[in-house]
Amino acid sequence: MTFILAAAADAETAGGLSGIFTKFGVTWPFFIAQLINFVLVLFVLKKFAIGPIQGLLDKRRQRIEDGEAKLVEIEEKLAQSEKEKAALLEAANADAKRLITEAKDSAATLTEQKTQEAVAQAQNIITKAEEAARAERATMAAELKQEFGRLVVATTSQVTGKTLDENDQRRISDEAVATMQN
Amino acid sequence: MASIFRFLLIVSAVLTASVLPAAAAGAGHKLPLYPESPFEDVLGGIFSWVSNSMIMVWIAAGIIILFCRAATKELKMVPAGFQNFAEWLIESLYSFFGNILGDHLVKRTFWFFGGTFLLILIVNYLGLFPGVGTFWMGDEHGNHKYLLRGGNADINMTAAMSLTFFGLWLYWSFTEIGTKGFFAHIFAPKGDFGGVMRIGMVVIFFIVGLLEVLSIFIRPLALSFRLFGNIYGGEQTLEKLMALTPKSLAFLPALPFYFVELLVGLVQAVVFTLLCAVFLRLMCDHGDEEHH
Repeated sequence: MTFILAAAADAETAGGLSGIFTKFGVTWPFFIAQLINFVLVLFVLKKFAIGPIQGLLDKRRQRIEDGEAKLVEIEEKLAQSEKEKAALLEAANADAKRLITEAKDSAATLTEQKTQEAVAQAQNIITKAEEAARAERATMAAELKQEFGRLVVATTSQVTGKTLDENDQRRISDEAVATMQN
Repeated sequence: MASIFRFLLIVSAVLTASVLPAAAAGAGHKLPLYPESPFEDVLGGIFSWVSNSMIMVWIAAGIIILFCRAATKELKMVPAGFQNFAEWLIESLYSFFGNILGDHLVKRTFWFFGGTFLLILIVNYLGLFPGVGTFWMGDEHGNHKYLLRGGNADINMTAAMSLTFFGLWLYWSFTEIGTKGFFAHIFAPKGDFGGVMRIGMVVIFFIVGLLEVLSIFIRPLALSFRLFGNIYGGEQTLEKLMALTPKSLAFLPALPFYFVELLVGLVQAVVFTLLCAVFLRLMCDHGDEEHH
């Protein structure tokens, strides 16, 4: 049917197992040489090719795994840090709000206080000004009375043609002033 | 025992023959079934152990080693050039075998599967180069021997690989699951039975175990003949197709089959190593689970 089958069958009829080996060219020298060849090639490949590359691949795989683990760790730390940052910001925000409120309260109090002071000061100034005006008015009224008395004395002296003594002058002046007050 | 081996050889040959292309069945082939030693008569025959297929294996090994030296000369964490390609190749193979063997076993055995795959692949492809199976040396008697022959078109090479695996398979199996586990895996009844059923199951599983032992011994033979038959059959196919036309056009009918042979070279490398990996996994399955 086929070449190999025919060869095997021929060999079987020709000389049994050794006939099959002979037919297919299986000989100890060739077989042992091929065996040594194969083992040596495998050894060399393991030592110089597959071994180093496999080692490098393992090393790289390990590095990637380590990197992944570190990445997870970093992500966890980042999340924790974000959480802490949010908490800090919230606290800072609350502090700021409190400070602003306090500042507003303080400012309102200060404003009220200053307003009160200003009002008091203004009141004081007004009072002082009124006192000063009153004093000045009194002074002016006194001076006016004195001037009015002197004028009445002078007028009386001229109208009467008399020289008025000091007592008369004082009496006329006082009477004139008393009239003015009335 | 000898009759068992004869039976196994014939069974393997039948299995192998069933996958050979029909063209290989033609009469009057040029390429012999067996390898030859082109240097048999040189220096009193001290190189008679060097076969033409062995030279091809050396060339393939040299190419792989040179490539690997270039790739691993200066290994960097950020790969480039040869290193990049080598890493892609090794990582792909590692992942492929890792899916079959599991993390623990692949770490332990990848050097064998990766190395064997690369060697088979390169040897298969080198066998397609012009000059392989055509350059020959003649003697004064008119006999001629081919200088180069496809490495896997030699049963000595494929047998060396499959028997090396067989030895390693035994070693890995015993070290992974222990002697007791090894024999229990083959002969022990699976499932929970009691009473008479248990006795019956012990007998049945013992017989199944004997068949399993037979299949274990067939494996290296099947692996050897499958790879040899496919590669040798491919070479025969190409040779027969070239003989169909005048010499000036000999390349024409063979050309499409060169592409087929490129695929066959890859598929056979995959099949050989894949089957080896599956055989190992089947035996070490329990042991591997324990490691996890």
